[in-house]
Amino acid sequence: MAVTAPGAAGGSGGGAAGGARARLLRAALAGTGVVAAWDWDIAAGRIVGDPGFAALYRLGEEEAARGVAPSAFFSVIHPQDRARIRLAVGGVLQGAELFSKEYRVVLADGAIRWVHARGRCLRDEEGGAGGELLPGGDRAGRFVGTLVDVTEQKRAEERLRIAQTAGGVGTFEYVDGFGTVSVSEQFCQLLGLQPAQDLPLRTVNGLAPPGAPSLIPTVIPGAGAADGVGAGISQAEFRITRPDTGEMRWLTRRGEYLRDTETSDLRFSGVIYDVTEAKRVEGELRRLNEGLEAVLAERTADRNRLWRLSADVMLVARPDGRITAVNPAWTAVLGWTEAELVGRGLLELVHPDDAGAARRSLDALACHEGGPRADSLGRFDARCRARDGRYRWISWSAALGDGLVNAVGRDVTAEKEAAETLRQTEEQLRQSQKMEAVGQLTGGLAHDFNNLLTGIIGSLDLLKVRVGQGRLEQVDRYVTAAQGAANRAAALTHRLLAFSRRQTLDPRPTRPNALIAEMEDLVRRTVGPAIELETVLSDGLWPTLCDPNQLENALLNLCINARDAMPGGGRLMIETANAWLDEQGSLQRDMQPGQYVAIAVSDTGTGMSPEVVARAFDPFFTTKPIGQGTGLGLSMIYGFANQSGGQIRIHSEEGHGTTMRLYLPRHLGEAEGEADAPQAAASPRAERGETVLVVDDEPTVRMLVAEVLEDLGYTAIEVADGAAGLAVLQSDARVDLLVTDVGLPGGMNGRQVADAGRALRPGLKVLFITGYAESAVVGNGHLEPGMHVLIKPFQMDVLTGKIRDLIRE
Amino acid sequence: MSAPLTALERDALTELVNIGVSRAAASLRKMVGAEVLLSVPSVEVIGHRRAAALIGEREAGELVAVMQEFSGAFHGRAMLLFPQANGLELVRAVLGESMAEADAVGMETEALAETGNVILNSCLATMANMLKRSLTMSLPRVVRGEGTFLLAAEGEEGLVLFLYINFSVRDRSIRGYIAMVMDLTSLEALKELVRDFIERVMGDEGA
Amino acid sequence: MPVKVLIVDDSKLARIVAGRALAALKPDWERVEAAEAGEALALVEAGGIDAVLLDYNMPGKDGLALAEELRAAHRAMPIAVITANVQDEVIARARAIGASFIAKPLTEEGLRGFVSGAALRLRSGGA
Repeated sequence: MAVTAPGAAGGSGGGAAGGARARLLRAALAGTGVVAAWDWDIAAGRIVGDPGFAALYRLGEEEAARGVAPSAFFSVIHPQDRARIRLAVGGVLQGAELFSKEYRVVLADGAIRWVHARGRCLRDEEGGAGGELLPGGDRAGRFVGTLVDVTEQKRAEERLRIAQTAGGVGTFEYVDGFGTVSVSEQFCQLLGLQPAQDLPLRTVNGLAPPGAPSLIPTVIPGAGAADGVGAGISQAEFRITRPDTGEMRWLTRRGEYLRDTETSDLRFSGVIYDVTEAKRVEGELRRLNEGLEAVLAERTADRNRLWRLSADVMLVARPDGRITAVNPAWTAVLGWTEAELVGRGLLELVHPDDAGAARRSLDALACHEGGPRADSLGRFDARCRARDGRYRWISWSAALGDGLVNAVGRDVTAEKEAAETLRQTEEQLRQSQKMEAVGQLTGGLAHDFNNLLTGIIGSLDLLKVRVGQGRLEQVDRYVTAAQGAANRAAALTHRLLAFSRRQTLDPRPTRPNALIAEMEDLVRRTVGPAIELETVLSDGLWPTLCDPNQLENALLNLCINARDAMPGGGRLMIETANAWLDEQGSLQRDMQPGQYVAIAVSDTGTGMSPEVVARAFDPFFTTKPIGQGTGLGLSMIYGFANQSGGQIRIHSEEGHGTTMRLYLPRHLGEAEGEADAPQAAASPRAERGETVLVVDDEPTVRMLVAEVLEDLGYTAIEVADGAAGLAVLQSDARVDLLVTDVGLPGGMNGRQVADAGRALRPGLKVLFITGYAESAVVGNGHLEPGMHVLIKPFQMDVLTGKIRDLIRE
Repeated sequence: MSAPLTALERDALTELVNIGVSRAAASLRKMVGAEVLLSVPSVEVIGHRRAAALIGEREAGELVAVMQEFSGAFHGRAMLLFPQANGLELVRAVLGESMAEADAVGMETEALAETGNVILNSCLATMANMLKRSLTMSLPRVVRGEGTFLLAAEGEEGLVLFLYINFSVRDRSIRGYIAMVMDLTSLEALKELVRDFIERVMGDEGA
Repeated sequence: MPVKVLIVDDSKLARIVAGRALAALKPDWERVEAAEAGEALALVEAGGIDAVLLDYNMPGKDGLALAEELRAAHRAMPIAVITANVQDEVIARARAIGASFIAKPLTEEGLRGFVSGAALRLRSGGA
């Protein structure tokens, strides 16, 4: 926009100076959005205007350049603003320096625009007007100014004002160096100050705490640079204490450094808004986050700690078994380093015998993932190889998660070994308990044996004498006596052996009364003279199905316990009776309802306290001093009773005595008679052709057996060892029965012969005759059908009967 | 207090002060021999009670200022404040660099007082001339204390005219502002004066 | 005999400023200072004062009152009232007393007129 140099057009001010002024004006106007410019020579009473001025005032450019009357200045001004502007101009003319007013102008087309007019009164520096005042008159000089269209700005300001009140935003404008800052009403309200247009800088900045950056900064960064605008945008937060309520609020101040084009002042203008709420939420969020992070870190730390510190081995593996992660416990437990494990297959480390079970468990896992029991654990025990090559038992629980196998394993090697040791120890102890009982028996038994042997030897001696004397009428008596003694000795030996061996349960129909009657002597000798023994055996006692040897053991044990409970002597009673147990009765005794045989052993001893009663059947529980008894007896009896389908109950009163009552189920059927004294039964003769193979390395025994057989009319084949026996069996010689000793020389025992024989001749009947039961014979309790056992020594009749029965079967 | 002055009357008062301060600026200019810039004056007419609150807020705390009381056609107080209180700078500006340091230091309060004297007197005198009335002015004095000096203790009624105008001396770090408070108790008289003034001023440029 | 000028102002700064301005215009003139009216009157009483520069705003007796008193005693003495209080009334009163009025701040230029006039009057008027 070209501007004619007003100075050149005349008026006061002087040529050169006027030209300079014009240049200044032009330069000032060049960079702005100026609509019009004027130069009002006060003394001359003429206003010169630029083309913009001309256009605004509907003048020709030339006319404007020449100058118009001052009154014309007001012609375009909106009527409502006119008076105000006249006043202001008047003020300038009277000496006011600054003219800065906003007002409306009416354009040629009737449109109304807001303009901002800025002007200054330029006076001669010194000279006539300097010292003395012309009374009340005009001052010499020129009033020059510019007009800027601010319609948009005004609208924006209006919007801003509305926005401020609505949105709680306050505006401010500060000129570098001034003592006051221009503010909006909202600004004052946000700071808790009375509304005002200007506030002292000190007042505004005093609201922020000392040491905080200034709300309105007075040090302009970069100021001093000639035309630099300064630092641009500056934003800061402040915590202020409201002077009206004392409340603490957070405010954000955002301002911009601008250089005023008119005055080249540096201005800092901007807004403030209340961010207390946002800050509070921010603070809470931060606290929450920190809290969460702390919790998360804690939990993560917990899990990490678990992984690191666990004594159990942990691993993560792919479904194919490839290990992807292991915890440090692997090194402690199995000696492997992480590097050695990652990438290896898990099953590589598992003992071959256990690998199958391990794989099955893992596969089962895979079936369950995501299924109804998605959290199922695969549990299995497996031996895992340690770095040193040894195996350790690890008890695993594994689960499938995120497609990976996650497993935890506990080293249970020690437990497994301990369990095994325990089992063995228990076994040993059980055995030693028996041995101890055996020890207790042998004293009395040795005494008995002596007596019996004396009877035998004596009878034989007498027999010899009589035969020598030719007095044969008494021979029968001596022979009978000798036989009786020998039988009794045999019975004793039998019992002893039966007691000491590890014999499996061999249940047979048994008559308890007969068994007890037979044992009476034994018991009496065992308990000693101080104890009075009484037996009350009811008539018609039912038979029971049980292992008679075990029953004998049990009763003997009970009698020994009874004796020990009566150190000063007393009475021991053995009673038998039939018992019916109904629902209630059986429940009380923890048994099935039905018919039972009750055998009671009672003493008048010290009795047991309820605590002792409760624990009486516990293995290893004993009230006896150390060294006397292992405490296994009652637990074995308990076991025997249960296995036989019965029960044992204790009834005891401290200071009075104890009754141990053994219940055994009634056996419906005839019992074999072993209780009866062996009678010489008529030996049934054999049918023609029946052949018995006799294998025994003892010629006497062979001879004995063979004689019996011939007496029976059977044919006997005698061999001395297993190989020979087998050879016979391999031939096509007729063999109806194999009678063999178990212990045979030559590397093949009787059982092996029997098994081999059965392989050749299925259904071959076998009778083992043996002095003691080897486990090999009974194969840990497995007597096959058609296999029988006869314990040496035995009576010939028994042998005969057995053979007869077997062949007849 | 009911609506006191019309917008025009308020503008007139502003103009009045504007003229006065302009004169004062001219005086200051001569004193310091450098350019003095003035801001656009801000004028508010408010009730007395609120004025007290305002003063308490705005001019809170200890100040150093030159204060002058005036009475007559209107009465009130004017304060000249130099927030940065750089009296020494002022001394140098007025007396020039030639002055010895030691002497200059002792003259700070003096400088403040005299500058205040010139400025406030110029301003108020000019205003009085404009209204064609005379004012009685007290001796300007340097005050230190609370800003509540500005408000006269008496007079719970009446309006208060608040005025702020900033000035700064270019090339020297001398910045200050004038805070003027006028008790407009005798409103009618003032209105008349102002009306006359308006006429005079507005009639000036008549063709 | 050099001209002796009495400068009366309660502000030391103002006295210095006036002194400097005067010295710039008339370096050979003597200057005497007083801080208030009483002191000033005494000095004038003592004699030898040729011209007086008075501040208006002073504690106690103000400058115009002092000027009046001085005028009464010394009809021809050049008296100037130097003040920032440029009220029309003040100026008129000064004129009425026959004193010059110079607006503060005082500059050489501002003082020149008075000094020239005073010099003239003193040369012609004699002691």
